[in-house]
Amino acid sequence: MSVLLYDDVRFAYPGGEPALTGVDLEVAAGAVLLLVGSSGSGKSTLLRCGNGLVPHVSGGRFGGDVVVAGRSTRTHPPRALADVVGFVHQDPEAQLVVDEVERDVAFVLENLGMAAAAMRRRVEEVLDALGIAHLRHRSPATLSGGERQRCAIAGALAAGPSVLLLDEPTSQLDPQGADDVLAAVGRLNDDLGTTVVLAEHRLERAAPLATAAALVEAGRIVVSGSPGRVLADYPGAPTVTRLGRALGWDPLPLTVRQARSLAGGAAAALAPGDLARPEPLRRAGGAALVGATGVRVDLGGRTVLSGVELDVVEGEVVAVLGRNGAGKSTLLRALAGLVGLRGGRVVRSGAVAYVPQDPGALLFRPTVRREVEETLRLLGGTGRGARPEVDRWLDALGLSHLEGRHPRSLSGGERQRLAVAAVAVGGAPVLALDEPTRGMDAASRTALERAVRAHAAAGGAVVLATHDVELAARCATRAVVLADGEVVAQGDARTVLAGSLFAPQTLRVLPPYLTVEEVQAALARSSS
Amino acid sequence: MRTTEQPQGRTSHATGPAPGVGPGLSAAPALHAAAWLVWAVSAAATAQLASSPVYVSLVIGAALLIVAAHGRDTALSAAFPLLLGAAVAFAVLRVVLTAATTHGVGGAWVTLPSATLPTLLGGFTVGGTVEGPVVLGAAAEGFALVGIVAAFAAFNAVVSHAELVESAPRAFHEPGLVVTVALAFVPATVAAVRSIREADRARTGGRVVRKGRLLRQLVPLLESGMEKGVALSESMEARGFAHHGPGAGERAAGWAGLGSLLALGAGFVALVGGAEVVALLFAVAGVVALVVAVLVASRGTSRVRYRPRRLAPTDAAVALASSLAPLGVVALGLGGNETLRWTADPLALPAVDVVACLAVLLLLAPAVVPPARAGGAPASVQGPSGQAERHEPAT
Repeated sequence: MSVLLYDDVRFAYPGGEPALTGVDLEVAAGAVLLLVGSSGSGKSTLLRCGNGLVPHVSGGRFGGDVVVAGRSTRTHPPRALADVVGFVHQDPEAQLVVDEVERDVAFVLENLGMAAAAMRRRVEEVLDALGIAHLRHRSPATLSGGERQRCAIAGALAAGPSVLLLDEPTSQLDPQGADDVLAAVGRLNDDLGTTVVLAEHRLERAAPLATAAALVEAGRIVVSGSPGRVLADYPGAPTVTRLGRALGWDPLPLTVRQARSLAGGAAAALAPGDLARPEPLRRAGGAALVGATGVRVDLGGRTVLSGVELDVVEGEVVAVLGRNGAGKSTLLRALAGLVGLRGGRVVRSGAVAYVPQDPGALLFRPTVRREVEETLRLLGGTGRGARPEVDRWLDALGLSHLEGRHPRSLSGGERQRLAVAAVAVGGAPVLALDEPTRGMDAASRTALERAVRAHAAAGGAVVLATHDVELAARCATRAVVLADGEVVAQGDARTVLAGSLFAPQTLRVLPPYLTVEEVQAALARSSS
Repeated sequence: MRTTEQPQGRTSHATGPAPGVGPGLSAAPALHAAAWLVWAVSAAATAQLASSPVYVSLVIGAALLIVAAHGRDTALSAAFPLLLGAAVAFAVLRVVLTAATTHGVGGAWVTLPSATLPTLLGGFTVGGTVEGPVVLGAAAEGFALVGIVAAFAAFNAVVSHAELVESAPRAFHEPGLVVTVALAFVPATVAAVRSIREADRARTGGRVVRKGRLLRQLVPLLESGMEKGVALSESMEARGFAHHGPGAGERAAGWAGLGSLLALGAGFVALVGGAEVVALLFAVAGVVALVVAVLVASRGTSRVRYRPRRLAPTDAAVALASSLAPLGVVALGLGGNETLRWTADPLALPAVDVVACLAVLLLLAPAVVPPARAGGAPASVQGPSGQAERHEPAT
């Protein structure tokens, strides 16, 4: 029985191109439907149709019909669907209304006019279901992203909706927060039978939850069915799925456990050969571009970094790993000279350009190209006429086709790439990228990784602060693990990642390979 | 079924409560919002009625102590020093302006170059003699102002705004919610300003480019704020806000409320303009309209509230003790106590009266109440303490 039904839905935002071009979709009660697709494919719009935000709040031209729990969104605005659909979007900061967690959870119940006793009981149940009862009196502003996002889900869930719509709920979160949120979603589906429709880019965790998946491209659903089938050809599929694809496994695995059981004799078929990184370490001959010695940084009365030693030489890509609050961002900002040092020193032989986590902090020009030119203008150029480096960076990050767009109209991943281009164009030899793959789709990640490798190969260096181990596995020549402000492991990326409990997926299935590309290369060697 | 591939400790929560905000942390406040409101109004009134710097210092001291004891772990508590700083800056500005425009009292300290404005602009003289009594008098008045701001800044730091909105009469619910949401944007905006400034510096590899900096920093701030605002409105819409729409009574109450605000404003203008009778009429009309608005709105659809907090005996006791401070000061004033006000002409050290000090120190009443513990609800929250945190709904 379907609880959410899309019937030939067509939609265009006011004054915009069509965003949905005829979507037919039936979501069975109790399902977890995973929507995948590149940024700007229409996943978000599709979800927003589910509770009537499109077209009631967005405006625009709407055709077809969406029926949720027997109510058509044509006749019901979102506020009249609050008891049957819950909606959560990606920004954990901007969806909590009341400054106390339990009252925020009760917000929807008060709006619906539920009786006081029933309301009290429902709030307790929902707090337990999401595991946030201990946060009940906290102010959302003081919570971590993962905790806040679970509060937002609790707020959406309080009215006991039959459908929960989640628009990239983990894209702004660190892996720990993402795990907590998705575990809570899985529990809700198991225990309460809530139907979940989930749009995600980071499929390593989300895919195993799904009972069904649909691939959205250019405003329509091109494939739908079991997650394994839909993800078979999808470039953003989890690493183990792509590994299975490379090795011709059937069925394709979605989790490391499934992949291990399939891996059996696969390792024997591979020729190990030379496992050098794409751009090997050049420590021997390279000149140090930036060096930190005994760096200590205190922020707000707390020691955030202490005794950090780090040299970055030409041609290196250094991945700085560590949990939230370990001091990754602060280390990057210290290298770039943006925070005062309490002790030690940082020696720079050239500029260090820092790209912040939130690209929105940077972008202010009306078009993508002008945004990139702006940096050159600030550095003393005229900003007029053809500037080869502008084109080079737009091209390197795959932004050339977007150069006339307004930066705010871009997707998260595109914005992030634009911020990198706008900072890198200044010509600083060292780029410090803070969590660059947050919220990125597969295409954006590939473009970014290519640009990072090219910059290092051309004699620069890149320092990445990241939670994304797969990114580190594919790009980094060296890895540094920070914990509590101190360096706890440092060295060649393969050694550091392999010796860790938190190795990339490929390594956990088929050691000593770090990435699917290495496995493919080994496969090619053994067959030749 | 879920996998872990990050270099992360899975047990530790990296993000704890924000540091530096009082020890009261995140529990529900120790006192009812109404008790805090009475305290804040009493403190502000005391600073106004006993405006001698001695007593104002006591009021400010009480506010600081109470924030130290009861400051909550909310973003708005962090604004306490900011608000105090703003009040001090305003007071200093006021001293400067007064010193530059008020002359002829005598006791000149220095003489600056002066200019007299045309009659059209007021016809007063800017610059000229800077006179001691004028400066000191303005400083004392400014200090009293800082005392009043301290009272309300402390109120902001200790009260639960959600609780305040909940306990307001029905007529004020929507405006109250709007104010709460707007207040919640303040700290987020401060954080955004910080990251935008840093991003601006980082873009040029640390080189500071002053030209056009305001635009570079303002545009991202406004655009990010807009995006957040849209997201928030979507979230409110999706959670059934204004589901029932305003009833006839609520509409009437809205108009009455607007009318009362206009009348009170007009009354204030009339008072400043010296038309006392008109002012009185407007004030009466405003108060009547306000009462009508509250009554009409409260009679309409009864809004169901989540976990309303009842006034506990402690709340009533604190409210009573606090309100005795301004009442005591008034009584002392009627009894001819000369120390309450201080004038800089003739110049003398402010006198101190022990009884008046004791009266002002009644404002410390909330400090006697133990601060709320983090994570647990205080005893005054409805339901048996401790048990209320379990599953059964409170009776």
